Amino acid sequence: MAYKKGIVFTTLITGFILSLFLCLFYRLDLSNGEIILSYIRVPAVIKAIISGSCLSLAGMFLQTISKNPLADPYLTGLSSGAGFGIVISLLFFNSVNYSLFGFFGALFAAALVIILSGFSKFSITKLILIGLSVNLFTGALISFLILLNPLKSYAMTLILTGGFSSADVSSKVLVSLFISAIILCGLFVPKLNAMRLDNRLIFNSGTKVNLYNIVFIILAAFLTSISVYCAGILGFAGIICPLLTKLLLGNDSRVLFFANILTGSTLLLFSNFLAANIIYPLEVPLGVVVAIVGVPFFVYFLLKKGGILNNQD
Amino acid sequence: MHDNKLSVILGLNGAGKSTLIKIITGNIKTEIHTKNTFKKVFYLPQNPYYPKGITSFDYLSSVFFKNNWKWFLSKEEKQKIIDVLEKIGLSDKKNINIENLSGGEIQKLNIALGLLSGADLFLLDEPSSNMDLINHIKILKMLKSLTSQNITSVIIMHDLNLALKYGDMFIGITKDKKIVQCGVKEFFSRENLKRIFDIDFKILEDGNNIYVQNID
Repeated sequence: MAYKKGIVFTTLITGFILSLFLCLFYRLDLSNGEIILSYIRVPAVIKAIISGSCLSLAGMFLQTISKNPLADPYLTGLSSGAGFGIVISLLFFNSVNYSLFGFFGALFAAALVIILSGFSKFSITKLILIGLSVNLFTGALISFLILLNPLKSYAMTLILTGGFSSADVSSKVLVSLFISAIILCGLFVPKLNAMRLDNRLIFNSGTKVNLYNIVFIILAAFLTSISVYCAGILGFAGIICPLLTKLLLGNDSRVLFFANILTGSTLLLFSNFLAANIIYPLEVPLGVVVAIVGVPFFVYFLLKKGGILNNQD
Repeated sequence: MHDNKLSVILGLNGAGKSTLIKIITGNIKTEIHTKNTFKKVFYLPQNPYYPKGITSFDYLSSVFFKNNWKWFLSKEEKQKIIDVLEKIGLSDKKNINIENLSGGEIQKLNIALGLLSGADLFLLDEPSSNMDLINHIKILKMLKSLTSQNITSVIIMHDLNLALKYGDMFIGITKDKKIVQCGVKEFFSRENLKRIFDIDFKILEDGNNIYVQNID
């Protein structure tokens, strides 16, 4: 291991705390600081932490079970599925809880992807390709629905571009959803250590591998729906954070679990801070900043330690 | 399958050796009714995928996370892993990342996975393809020594002379898709080899050892 776990974690935690404070207190108007904090900044910070950690955890699950570094909630269609569910609920069921629809949307997308890629002969390559198609298809459907309903188009466009500014999300619901998701993940995460082996290796009479594959896809769908519910579709964090942590810390899912929560939320917190302050009075779309912050980091580590990601050579 | 023996499956490419093993594991459903008298089966496919960025110790520890709801390994399990690493002769490479090991060493680790899982039937699909002679022999020796610990192995391989030296039972798949299972003497007869490989072989006997060579 080229980097010591302790150093990596210290850096991650420092980065996390630093960006947390920047997000909360940078350029805070002291005369009405309390109101700004409690109505704007704290909810935004909560959303950033939740969506970041959910996305990177979902990405980690998908990458580990598919053994493909390209798999992430965006590419496998889960994000757009969740987005589609939320758009439907915005259009037709005004008073109902959006996240529920997001979850069912993501679950529907996941089910579609699993069924189409074949229950009996479950192939992971097929899963990625089918996910890509589902992603494109639902993305197109969302755009279509936005065109048809100009009155609600703003709320729907927010879901597509990603951002923390949609105010109608209650933090209490989010936090309770997030905590239950994390507890569920905590139960299943050590199993990923067995899932990192070749799928065809059998050490049981009667394989449970496909069952666990499906369990992890459902978990990823749940996490994705939470993240889409609070921050819209953010394409990039879900693929970059799991890869980055894997490059830095190796392949032990118990370590990666915490590392992913930290990196995901740090990335989104810092991007959130930059989005608000880079051209001061204007707010830059979050997805843009995430890419600007994340890509250089990622490419640097990829070039330096990319060997780990090759499937086999 | 014969208990506590090293069986070797031989046959031409495309004869159905891998298919036969997959039928035994139950990966391919057939109308043939298989009766399983073994506790656990370990199947090692050709060129298995391995995750990078973990040490050989971590790689072996993966087995224990499969059926348990826990975050940490117990002391006995850690000791088990160390014992197995000792057994396969890799205890000095415990903390080396597996992508830095050689192909033969990774294959040994894979067999160690089977040992840790407590399986008593090993099905190995060309465990020594792309491997040099010494590693090939080392792996066969290891499997042979396992048979004394109540572990039955079934191996697909292509080298007839090595198969002769280490195999106890032989399973051949002939060109007309018949399966022949027999001991050394019957298997390595001219007619039988002709049926399986469709070429003539010269069979040399030297005391207890038998050698074969093809005749052009």
